[in-house]
Amino acid sequence: MLLECKNISKAFKSENVLNNLSFYLEEHKTLSILGKSGCGKTTLLKIISGIIQTDNGDIYLRGNRINDIPVNKRNIVYLYQEPLLFPHLNVFENIAFSLRLKKIDDQLVRTKTDEMIEHLELTEQKVKMPHQLSGGQKQRAAFGRALIINPVLLLLDEPFGNLDSSTRESMQNFYSKIANEYKITSIFVTHDLKEAIIMGDKIGLMEKGKLTIFNYVDDFINHPDTGVSKEIDFWKKLRN
Amino acid sequence: MTLITKKLIKSLGIFLILFPFLFLLGLSFSTNWRFPSILPLEITPDNWLGLFSFSGNLFESFILSIVISVSVGLLSTFTGFLAGKYISETIIREKIIFLSYLPYTLSPVLYAASIYYYFVYFNLTGNIIGVIVGQILITFPFSINLFTGYWNSSIKNLENLVLTLGGTKLQSYLKVLIPISKRMLLIVFFQTFIISWFEYGLTTIIGVGKIQTLTIRVYQFINEANYYYAALSSCLLIIPPAFLLWFNKKYVFRKII
Repeated sequence: MLLECKNISKAFKSENVLNNLSFYLEEHKTLSILGKSGCGKTTLLKIISGIIQTDNGDIYLRGNRINDIPVNKRNIVYLYQEPLLFPHLNVFENIAFSLRLKKIDDQLVRTKTDEMIEHLELTEQKVKMPHQLSGGQKQRAAFGRALIINPVLLLLDEPFGNLDSSTRESMQNFYSKIANEYKITSIFVTHDLKEAIIMGDKIGLMEKGKLTIFNYVDDFINHPDTGVSKEIDFWKKLRN
Repeated sequence: MTLITKKLIKSLGIFLILFPFLFLLGLSFSTNWRFPSILPLEITPDNWLGLFSFSGNLFESFILSIVISVSVGLLSTFTGFLAGKYISETIIREKIIFLSYLPYTLSPVLYAASIYYYFVYFNLTGNIIGVIVGQILITFPFSINLFTGYWNSSIKNLENLVLTLGGTKLQSYLKVLIPISKRMLLIVFFQTFIISWFEYGLTTIIGVGKIQTLTIRVYQFINEANYYYAALSSCLLIIPPAFLLWFNKKYVFRKII
């Protein structure tokens, strides 16, 4: 088991955002978490990454408790809805950024970054600045910047939320492909039903600070709170 | 409106803007320019040549002013940058911003008079450190006001991103936050530098006559009716702001930096 969260609780002022939440995630799997805005999805990701601290509960990574390990030592990368490319650096330097932080030999940085850029199909954009890229290209560069350091866990906070539907679909395919190739373990947060099903090996439904995990897609579809049945009914009625 | 009229109005406008500067420059090259003469009776570089020699060295005041204003500008910019970040995150943000306006409810002279006791107590009167501290009390709240609004969620997210990518807090500042904030830092530095550069009242009180900045010297020459030296020191007084204005226009506003 790669990640295990036990009894995680978090409150902001008097509002309980996460309420005694527990779940686990196996290596090389993606857990997609579906939930409405403000249900605590982002808070959960920020707690796992270490950006904010939990009030109660424990987080284990490969069996080791990481609650007290600082953000930069966890090797867990948190990707925001916005690609957040560094505006003063070009695509190459953005992707090479985390390697440069580790003061790795320049030649090795160049080789690894070039490989990643090729893999991301961003060769033509290599020297472009972030403002010269399309939404999908920005997001791909952001993935590359995260993947290049082989994170133990990737936390994706609605990464395709700002993309148009066709770019979104191509990015979903792209992510599924690289997740397989790089054997990524990730938590993929979304408020899009279809995306949650496509992206996740298992699916979590988050409501009022509680997380229900569905190990099988069928369980998720048949559960009344997920809204899948309603969605299917809607399309059936429309067709009839 | 014809093209010639437009050009004429434009030239007149430029002349009106430049006239005070040209007049000061002319006066600084003169030792005898009295009413009703339109031009100086003699033009001589004597005043400028005497920059390093006449009593109460003006050049020394120029350097002293540069040292004070650069120190005030740098200190208030960087402390304001950091403080602004923490203030923007605190729940009493609005109260602190309100408090930061308080120094501006008093004129600098009254403000200096009201805190003078503490400066005497801490042996900060009549020396450069005291004047720098005094001026920072005015420029720091100004810097905080500008930076508190600057720290938005995107910038904080960038900082957190650097941390999750394995960087330290220091690396997040050096590699991302400072480079992306370069324009804002320069703007705040320029503003606080200018406030310090032209500061008179507080510097006079805290400096107790021992700290002779260029601005103080200009006032002294005017009080002594020494218009030629007043013009000369005014010319020197204009150089740094003019340079900053040029620098701003050439690099900052064109987003070269």
